[in-house]
Amino acid sequence: MTPLAHYLIFSGILFSIGLAGVIIRKNIIVVFMCLEMMLSAANISLVAFSRAQGVNGIPMYDAQVLALFIVAIAAAEVAIGLALIVAMFRARKSVESSALNTLKD
Amino acid sequence: MDTTLSSYTWCQFAPEFALVAVAVIILLADSFLPQIPKRIYALVGAAGAFVITCLMARGEYANWFGFLACAATTLTLLLAYDYRKITCESIAGSENEDGTAEFYALPLIACAGICCLGQAKDLVMLFVSLEVITLSSYVLAGYFRRNQGSIEAGVKYLILGAMSTGLLVFGAAWYFGTTGSFDLDPLMAHTALSHGYLSTGFLMATALLLAGALFKVGAAPMHMWIPDVYQGAPTPTSNFLAIASKAAGFAALCLLLRPFRPFAEAYPGTVSILVHSLSIVAAATLLIGNLGAIGQHNAKRLLGYSSIGQAGFILIFFVNLGGDIEPYVFNYLLAYALATAAAFFAIAMLRTQRGSEEISAFRGLGKTNPRTAFLITVSFASLAGVPLTMGFLAKYYSFCALIQAMGSWNGLLWLLPVMIVCAAAGFYYYFKVLRAMYWEKPLESDKPLRVPAVTAAVLTACSIVIILMGTYPLLFS
Repeated sequence: MTPLAHYLIFSGILFSIGLAGVIIRKNIIVVFMCLEMMLSAANISLVAFSRAQGVNGIPMYDAQVLALFIVAIAAAEVAIGLALIVAMFRARKSVESSALNTLKD
Repeated sequence: MDTTLSSYTWCQFAPEFALVAVAVIILLADSFLPQIPKRIYALVGAAGAFVITCLMARGEYANWFGFLACAATTLTLLLAYDYRKITCESIAGSENEDGTAEFYALPLIACAGICCLGQAKDLVMLFVSLEVITLSSYVLAGYFRRNQGSIEAGVKYLILGAMSTGLLVFGAAWYFGTTGSFDLDPLMAHTALSHGYLSTGFLMATALLLAGALFKVGAAPMHMWIPDVYQGAPTPTSNFLAIASKAAGFAALCLLLRPFRPFAEAYPGTVSILVHSLSIVAAATLLIGNLGAIGQHNAKRLLGYSSIGQAGFILIFFVNLGGDIEPYVFNYLLAYALATAAAFFAIAMLRTQRGSEEISAFRGLGKTNPRTAFLITVSFASLAGVPLTMGFLAKYYSFCALIQAMGSWNGLLWLLPVMIVCAAAGFYYYFKVLRAMYWEKPLESDKPLRVPAVTAAVLTACSIVIILMGTYPLLFS
């Protein structure tokens, strides 16, 4: 059986890639995909922990319940996010983060 | 194995169901009864939220943060009612009210999220209720789709907010991994703290969870979104974010720090790393908020920086981790909420009648509308912390909390000069508004403002409470 650490390292790498993408990438759609990657990383950790904490082969379902909630909320977030990005494209004719420049000190 | 879901009863969420019911009724009426003018929905929502506010004040459903959130929602919807002219222009491009009803329903849904957050006992509930708040807030921030600023505020809030969600859930996963449960209970921290120090995994979980909550309150270094979003978002939304959403952030922070408080009281040494990290965050928040506000010209942006600065003063209560936190945080938030709501009502009135949100739009109000100018003066004086206002007492308690914390942990003395400098800076930038009102002459073309009845009532009520609570703080305790 694959040890817990492998899952955790994998999810840590996925999370770091997501976070780095959010910070580095300029295209809002790509940034948004990276945000979803961060949530998926958390889901992988949750399911791995739920297996590892289980007794007698029965996982602790608490963590899987949270994972389901995360999936549902991520879907809602995508619906709102894409709507906002479409509105932004209509207003600015661009989805680059450099187009977000009207509000500043 | 005890499941976390069973520790809640359906009945305890009755006020939240009522709030959502009002929101759903508004949405259904919007679809099926198009002849009703949409501005009625703002008043219906405000009335509903006000009833729930009274319900939450004491008795079976007593819930401090919920009370604050419902009061803030009432104020937001009243503000949205007075702001409807701009709302219609920014959505349909005319006097037409089509498509504005959701703007009055969403604050109620977000408010239900905050009330749930006030009752949460575990991370699942905390996460879901925080998301209910943020998802509604994204829509509210980007609601004015004909307004460049609003769209930009919406997208910025979405990206940064979703990032903080990512941090929060990754923290939650590790909290579960290191303690074996989502319960925010001192017992859980006990397992992690049993060696007399915090294990690395648990420390990382705590740091990520706190980062998620600190984003909501706008603490440094997660404060970037606040000035931009407050400036760009519709004024009622800015008001909602500044009061209700901030209260939600502090409710989450209280919850997340609850497992550590018995340790902070009994063995201060075990959690000193947490206290010192919080003190650095508080100091950075104070400095960024108060010094950043000095150069601002836009009144909404000024209030954004001011809200960061005020959050810094509230974070000081959390530095005193072993002491009493909730009552003082609630008191400070109430003082801040009353004064900030009054300021946003004034800004909305100026935007509607003078077409500007700059500080210079306050020019000459002392001559043209002396009574309104006095009420605005009271609220800004309270934000700055002038004695005999509620804001002064709130700031005073914040200093007391720091002095108490210095008794338990070494190396916090440096925070005191930071707080003094920041409190002094507050006087400068809040009084810029007062200077514009009393020292600048009104332009030839400036007519006296017509103060709408709702705005007048809210400004008067806020001022009365600010002064009463400032002169006789035991009145409502």
